Amino acid sequence: MSRSVSTWSYRPGEWVAIFGAATTLLLPDSEKQRAAQLWELVDGGAGFDATLDQVLAPGLSVLPAFVLIGTGEGPTKVIVRGAGVRATLTTNDESVELDGSTVTTWVERTLEGVTALTVSVGGAGADGPDYLIDGGLVRVARIDLPPHAAPGAAEAAPGAAEAAPVVAVVEAVPEAVPEAVPEAVTGADAEGPATEVFSIDEPSPLDDEADTSSVSPPGFDPMPEDGPAQDASGMVWASDAPPAPPMAPPLAPPFPGAVAVPDDHDGMTRAGAAGDDVGPTPPGIPGQPPAPSVTRPVATLVISNGESVEVDRVVLIGRAPEARRFTATEQPRLVTVPSALHEISSTHIEVRPGSGADHGSAVVTDMGSTNGTVLVQPGLEPEELQPGIAVQLIPGAIINLGDGVTIQVMNP
Amino acid sequence: MTGVELHHGAATDVGLVREVNEDAFLVAPPVFVVADGMGGHDRGDIASAIVVEEFRRLADAGYDPARGPAVVAATLLGAQARIAAYDAAQRAQGARDFHAGTTAVVALLIEQSGEPKWLLANLGDSRVYKYNHGRLEQVSVDHSLVQDLVDAGTIIASDALVHPERHVITRALGGSGSTDADYFVLPLSAAERLVLCSDGVSGMIDDQHIEGILAAAEDPRDAADQMVAAAVAAGGKDNATAVVVDVVGLAAETPYDSERQRVSLEEKLGALP
Repeated sequence: MSRSVSTWSYRPGEWVAIFGAATTLLLPDSEKQRAAQLWELVDGGAGFDATLDQVLAPGLSVLPAFVLIGTGEGPTKVIVRGAGVRATLTTNDESVELDGSTVTTWVERTLEGVTALTVSVGGAGADGPDYLIDGGLVRVARIDLPPHAAPGAAEAAPGAAEAAPVVAVVEAVPEAVPEAVPEAVTGADAEGPATEVFSIDEPSPLDDEADTSSVSPPGFDPMPEDGPAQDASGMVWASDAPPAPPMAPPLAPPFPGAVAVPDDHDGMTRAGAAGDDVGPTPPGIPGQPPAPSVTRPVATLVISNGESVEVDRVVLIGRAPEARRFTATEQPRLVTVPSALHEISSTHIEVRPGSGADHGSAVVTDMGSTNGTVLVQPGLEPEELQPGIAVQLIPGAIINLGDGVTIQVMNP
Repeated sequence: MTGVELHHGAATDVGLVREVNEDAFLVAPPVFVVADGMGGHDRGDIASAIVVEEFRRLADAGYDPARGPAVVAATLLGAQARIAAYDAAQRAQGARDFHAGTTAVVALLIEQSGEPKWLLANLGDSRVYKYNHGRLEQVSVDHSLVQDLVDAGTIIASDALVHPERHVITRALGGSGSTDADYFVLPLSAAERLVLCSDGVSGMIDDQHIEGILAAAEDPRDAADQMVAAAVAAGGKDNATAVVVDVVGLAAETPYDSERQRVSLEEKLGALP
C-alpha cells in the first residue's frame, strides 16, 4: 500500500471522512468543526504522526471517537477509538479486526503488506451503495481500500455538501477491481477468524471479545453516542436556555450534552446546560466562521523596528498585548512594539488569517485602540480603521500604529 | 521562573450557610489555582481537591514555560480523568447518578518570545481579576448561564448578580459537558496584582468593593483575608476563597522588600520577636 494516492470506496453515512494523500481521518458528526479545521492539514498530505498530533491537540476526553489511517510510505497504520468503530485489515496471511468499543484510549495496529482494509463506523447506511473517492471530504458509514466490489454509480454522497470546506474528488470508475478483494474481507462485520494467529503486536484481550457491544473499564466514562439521551431523572437542566448570541458563529458543541449534576447539593454552584452554547465562543470577527487556529502563513508583517512576523494564526500587536479567551490549541502570537510616547495601546491591532471571503489573505482589526490605526493599501486613500471591523490586507499595505511604528504587509 | 518574584496571599472560608467548604486553592509559585467544587452530597470538595493536587504536581515537577496552554490543558485533562474515575468508583459502590464537578481558575507564569507572561485559564464561574493603577478589571469570562444571558443581551450585568439561576455554570471539570478552558495571556506589566476567587467572593461583594479592598491592602495576604472576610460579612451564602498575587517590582510602590515577605505572619502580627 505504498501508492501515493489511494482510491477508496465509501458508503454514505453520518461520519465525516477526510481522504488525504498519506492519511485518512474519520470523525463523528459531532466533530464536524474539528474536521473542517483538519481538512487542510490532511488534504495537504500531512503524515500520520503530524495528523495524530493535531487530532489529539484539544485532548482525548473531548473526542469520543475517531479513526486515523496512515497509508503513506512503509507499513499501514490504523488507530480506532469509540463505540461501534471497527477496522479489518487483511494481509496475504491473515485478517485482523480492531474494535474501538472496549478501550479507554484507542486501538492501534501497524501492519506490513496489507492487501485490504475496511473501516465501519456505525450502522447507518450499512448496505448503501459504494462510491469511489481518491481525495476529499465526505460523509461515510464505511470505507474500503481497495474499493469494495461492485461500486455504485459515481455520485457525491448527499451529505457531502454540509461540511464547510468540501472538495470531494469523486471518480467515476464503472467496473472496478472485483477480484482484487478477497470475499472474506468485504463484510465489515466479519468476525476475523484469523485474529489469534496474528502476533506482530502484543495480543490484545479485546480481540477475543470483539463482538461485546460496550465494556467500560473502570474509571472511564463512555461518551454517549447521543448525548442527551443519557440524562437520568434528577439531573438539573437549565430550563430556559438563552438564545445563542446573534453574532456567535455556528459552532458544533463537542457533544450535544451538557454538564449535568444532581440538584441535591450543599454548595451553591452547580452545573447546568446552556443549550447550544456549550463550547468556547470563538474570538474574532462576528458573523464570520472562525478561521482555523493555525494555518499556512498568509502574509508576513515587517515591523518598522526590524521584526518580521508570519501571519499563520492570530497575531496581536501593541505596546503590551494581551490575548483574551483563546483555546489551548490556538495560542495567539503576541508582538510587542515600542511606544515611547504611549500613543500605541496595549493591545492595538489584531492580524489574523482571514476566513470566508477573506480566506487566503490576512485581515486586520483595530482592537479599540485609544489613538486609532491608519491603513494605507496600495492604490487606495489612507483609511482610519473602525474599531472591531476587520479589513482585508493587500500585500504592500502599510499599517500605521502611531509613535513612528508602521507595519508593512508582505507576501509570506 | 527567572527574574520574577511573586508575593501572594490566600484565604478561604466556609461561609455562614454551608456546612462543608468545597472550595480549594493552590499557592505554589509560579502556579496559582482556585477551584470551586459542586454538589455537596456528591463530594464536590473531592473534585476541587483533585484539581489542586494535579496542579501542585505540575508545580513540583516543573513545566516547559514555552508550552503553557498545552501544559495547562494536559493538567486539566488529568484532573478530569481522575474525577471521572472517582465518579465511576462511587457509582460502582451504588451511588446512583454520581457526578462530582468543579470549576477551575489557574494563573501561572509562562514564557513567550523569551519574556515571562501570565497565562490564565478558566473553566466555570470562578474568576480572575487584574488590578493595575488602582483599577480592577475582570479578565476571565464566566461560563455561566447568566453570562450567556448578558452576552445575548437578555439581561444586563447588574441583573446577573441577583438572577435566580446565577449559580448555574455551563462548563466545568467533571460531568459530561465541555471541559475546554478559556485561556488568556497577560504581560506582567498588565497586572501589578492578580486576584483569583470563587463565586462565594464575587457573588457576595461587587467589583467596586473588591477594588477598594485591593487599593487599601498593600500586603497580598491582607488583601485576600479582607476579601474573604467581606464576602462572609455580606452574608457568606457560599464558600468564599481568594488568592492574591503581586508581581514584585511592578506594584505601584513596593510595600516591603522580598526579605520581609519571608517573615512569617506570626512575626508580622507581633507574636514572635
